[in-house]
Amino acid sequence: MLKILIPTLMLIPTTWLIPKKWLWTTTTSQSLIIALISLLWLKWDSEIGWSSSNIYLATDPLSTPLLILTCWLLPLMILASQNHISPEPINRQRSYITLLILLQFFLILAFSATEMIMFYIMFEATLIPTLIIITRWGNQTERLNAGTYFLFYTLTGSLPLLVALLLLQKDLGSLSMLTMQFTKPMTFISWSDKIWWAGCLLAFLVKMPLYGIHLWLPKAHVEAPIAGSMVLAAVLLKLGGYGMMRITSLLDPLTKELSYPFIVMALWGIIMTGSICLRQTDLKSLIAYSSVSHMGLVVAGILTQTPWGFTGAIILMIAHGLVSSALFCLANTNYERTHNRTLLLTRGMQIILPLMTTWWFMANLANLALPPIPNLMGELFIIVSTFNWSYWTILLTGLGTLITASYSLYMFLMTQRGPTPTHIITLYPSHSREHLLMALHLLPILMLMSKPELVWGWCYC
Amino acid sequence: SKMAEYREAPLATRPKTLDPAEYYNLSAEQRRAEEERAALRAQLKRQYQLQLNNPHRKDLIEDPALTRWTYARANVYPQFRPTAKTSLLGGLFSVVPLFVLYYVFKTDRDKKEAAIKAGKYERPFQLSY
Repeated sequence: MLKILIPTLMLIPTTWLIPKKWLWTTTTSQSLIIALISLLWLKWDSEIGWSSSNIYLATDPLSTPLLILTCWLLPLMILASQNHISPEPINRQRSYITLLILLQFFLILAFSATEMIMFYIMFEATLIPTLIIITRWGNQTERLNAGTYFLFYTLTGSLPLLVALLLLQKDLGSLSMLTMQFTKPMTFISWSDKIWWAGCLLAFLVKMPLYGIHLWLPKAHVEAPIAGSMVLAAVLLKLGGYGMMRITSLLDPLTKELSYPFIVMALWGIIMTGSICLRQTDLKSLIAYSSVSHMGLVVAGILTQTPWGFTGAIILMIAHGLVSSALFCLANTNYERTHNRTLLLTRGMQIILPLMTTWWFMANLANLALPPIPNLMGELFIIVSTFNWSYWTILLTGLGTLITASYSLYMFLMTQRGPTPTHIITLYPSHSREHLLMALHLLPILMLMSKPELVWGWCYC
Repeated sequence: SKMAEYREAPLATRPKTLDPAEYYNLSAEQRRAEEERAALRAQLKRQYQLQLNNPHRKDLIEDPALTRWTYARANVYPQFRPTAKTSLLGGLFSVVPLFVLYYVFKTDRDKKEAAIKAGKYERPFQLSY
């Protein structure tokens, strides 16, 4: 664990001491080396699942894929930000990278925390660098509004979680995840127990986001700069899913009755946000709503509390993280050239940037869950799990799959095919950096097809 | 009059209403209005041409109409007013389905639970869950 944490912390002196000419190269390569070392976490030896050298930080098959995704994302974020940050003074560039590294550090601590309170503290701590990135480096005036929504939605959701965790600590004595799985089921009788149950889950549902409380997500994703959008879509949403999966082991048997409203909202949200996607005129907003849609499936999968549901949730989280981040990078390549996100203005790109079309095509096919890409595997596991929960869910999840396919294809056809507006002909050609970025996003997805056991979590079915 | 002296910009076409062959059935008011509009259009065209042919321009020419349109598409909520129609639509698509789905799932699962408790629930192809 320390062999990842210390290099990550040391990235901060690196960014501040390296001469200007080597800043981006060095930070990218150091973070890439950290990402490659993080692959060592994939070796799970222990029989109880947790591998650790100390009692505070440990990894298990649920947190490992998310940790590796986090570590993998930092070089990608730095690669993606290189262009739009370059006109700024060097110290501001250094502070930007420092914020990304701090965010990375908190995320690694969050995913590897063994104690729920530490997880909570890191969960909250990740808000601060993200807020600074959105409100300081966003491009439109709406970024202030976006930052406010982001901060206050998440904080309001997580205050009940703090209270709930402290109550739990008083009852159980310890909130260590290592022992949480072995606690005796608690008796829940009164109304306050039900409110406690809701308090435990609300923070994660806001973060996921669940459909009714998802308003912060389109704003935050659209107004954030590319690195902010990438980390939000790929990792921060999954913090919610991870938290839910950890805490649901304690919440039985209340979950059987109380989860109905949330499963209903999640499933209905898939359809509603999918339909909103079809009506969007802003490219980043489309991708943001598609994130809400996929995460709705993840929420439904987790709340069914079955092995297949959890497995599907983890696979979909990882696959969606990579693909959604890839789509945001593609949208950013358009944005850097035309400085607006309107779909109508960036049409017919295939004629001008045909290689980028390949990446658009692959990312959109992955987004619409084409077999055998892991997105489909995750969705299928969750759909089967909810079908087992109740047969009628197939109507909603099936319709949701159809709508997902249609808006992904709509995104591809709008940006790539069709008449090319005349002002687009003079766009800059693609940088190799952008091609590298897309390749590094999509290659792990393709490689996961050959060894999906890595992302199945602890329910090897 | 002014109309007789009007000369269009080079390479632009003369508007139909300023065509000398069309003059004679127009009132003076109409002619004045047409000249005004033609002058405004010429100003806009001039601005666009200046930007289009500017050799130092590196990015897109901004279309203010498109900006207004995207802003309007993105910022609907501040103009939202609860009327009968919007409340009906909102209720129909976001409140009613939640209750309907809750009812459907709850009755379906309660029936399954009752069947399991009575020992009558068959799972012939059970692989996993």
